[in-house]
Amino acid sequence: MTLALNTAIKLIPASQFTIEQLTAIYNQTRVDYLVPMPMNSTRLAEYISTYDVDLEHSLVALQDGTLLGVAMLGVRQGRAWLTRLGVLPNTRRNGIGETLTRGLIEQAEKLNIYFDMLEVIKDNTPAHRLFLKLGFYEVSELLVLRRPPFNQPPDTVVADAERLDRADALNLVRRDRGTQPWTNQSKSLFNASEVAGLRIMLVDGSRGWMVYQRQKFTLTRFIYKTESGNPADVAYASLSHLHNQYPRLDTHIENIQVTDPHLPAFYKMGYVESFRRIEMWRGTPPASLVGSSK
Amino acid sequence: MLKILIVEDELDTAELVRRILTAHNFEVFHAELAEDGLRQARAEKPDLILLDLGLPDYDGQTLAGWLRDDPDLNSTSIVAFTAWPVETAQKMAESYGCAGYISKPIESVNQFVRQIESFLSKSRTE
Repeated sequence: MTLALNTAIKLIPASQFTIEQLTAIYNQTRVDYLVPMPMNSTRLAEYISTYDVDLEHSLVALQDGTLLGVAMLGVRQGRAWLTRLGVLPNTRRNGIGETLTRGLIEQAEKLNIYFDMLEVIKDNTPAHRLFLKLGFYEVSELLVLRRPPFNQPPDTVVADAERLDRADALNLVRRDRGTQPWTNQSKSLFNASEVAGLRIMLVDGSRGWMVYQRQKFTLTRFIYKTESGNPADVAYASLSHLHNQYPRLDTHIENIQVTDPHLPAFYKMGYVESFRRIEMWRGTPPASLVGSSK
Repeated sequence: MLKILIVEDELDTAELVRRILTAHNFEVFHAELAEDGLRQARAEKPDLILLDLGLPDYDGQTLAGWLRDDPDLNSTSIVAFTAWPVETAQKMAESYGCAGYISKPIESVNQFVRQIESFLSKSRTE
């Protein structure tokens, strides 16, 4: 049942709500999503911190005291990120999603930010259509991949592998990779705990590195680079060392571009596609972000 | 009486499943979170675990990984319970060692019960 809304929708800064309240409204908006991705308050708090979500400029939609939806704004130098947008199922088709999205764009502009980024789950046609209407354009298609923990990795590829602690790992990603998908930008790694890395050199001289977050039960947030040689070979060697080092950890990586030349290594190592997202931008990336990434 | 553990954060769905399965003479346990799901699985040793793939603390795949890693539970039948598109549900269920999947929402009670019985029957013959 869709409820008709007759009185004006109010947008309230999300900072006026507790994390528990925001978690509850977020989860309620997602119950019927293709990929619901519910969170508890601990996970939402970590999300806010890792992705620089600015609750002062994030919004909750309210009408007659009833919470209708939520939308969050990540803020970094020269760019903003629209995320966690959701509207309660029985109040959709009343323009609440559009009001929240327009509200976030205005909040970013108040911060003098005119370059906005977001990802939308592929085949979420209503949301995709809304973002196109509001001036967003498609940039790339992204993959979310999983690898189960009990999937025995193949033997490690013979290579000179050096483990890197947090400081050395973050040194590799230090430059601002500002037009990467938000979750994979350097700042997301700087904000994350338990970051480590691996530098690898193969017998043919190919070399590269991989930086990741090792959580209690999962490996996640991979950033990697091939400095010379075939990207798929270098990535496969890195993954073989990583998964032999952590054979009991589940792996969850997101927002890998479908055109990424390292991708064959992930499939060969037993990763499976979970779902896809479309990355969209609004406005032009500031010159300071262009040329330092992708 | 066969035991079924449902791990599902959506309470209306969990209650619906509990009612259906209780009415068909199953003993039903419910956990809302992955960590509680693991605790109850260890305590109750269910015959089948009906596992929502989207949970608020750790997702269903991570819980499936823990269950498969536990020597006392690694042969327990896990059935993914998800609204994901069929192809994705199938792929995730297979990769994470589930016996299969059941799509949400439940559209036919009889069909749902038949699916559960079929998974139980397969697990008993393996």
